[in-house]
Amino acid sequence: AIEDLFASLNRHIERSEFDQAVKISDQVLSIAPGDEDAIRCKVVALIKNDSVDKALLAIEACSNKSSIDFVFFKAYCLYRQNKLDEALETLKGQEKNSAMMLLESQILFRLGLMDASVDIYQNLQKSKIESLEINFVASLVSAGRASD
Amino acid sequence: NPIVIDLAYNAIDFPSLENRM
Ligand SMILES: [K+]
Repeated sequence: AIEDLFASLNRHIERSEFDQAVKISDQVLSIAPGDEDAIRCKVVALIKNDSVDKALLAIEACSNKSSIDFVFFKAYCLYRQNKLDEALETLKGQEKNSAMMLLESQILFRLGLMDASVDIYQNLQKSKIESLEINFVASLVSAGRASD
Repeated sequence: NPIVIDLAYNAIDFPSLENRM
């Protein structure tokens, strides 16, 4: 039953067995195409397994079948492929949560747009993200604004 | 170069499967 597959999937996730998590997600999707939890588990497991190419393919494959918002995952995979302009374009015009803002700031940093990267970290300071100061300082230093 | 952590990666999480098992 699908409940058993999800129990198995959950176990693999807890053990960081991402290859297995992808396999079980596919089994769920063969029974229940478009199952949102299974698709999300598959994409996250592929990303955690450093298979961003496959994660992008999975996102593309299901983008017609479902209405899941994959903007953040897609932009993240493009960032990892160093397709920075495409990644930034993917985030453009979106209402951004803190994860998307973190990603945008990291993309801007890699593009050498330090002031824009700093601006986002400043806006995120109230959100109590662990280790945020490390990237904030990196952007400040790189922007030549270490005295800020 | 200053150290940068992939904080966006840390923000990527599996959905809760609590209600699916
Ligand atoms: K950064």
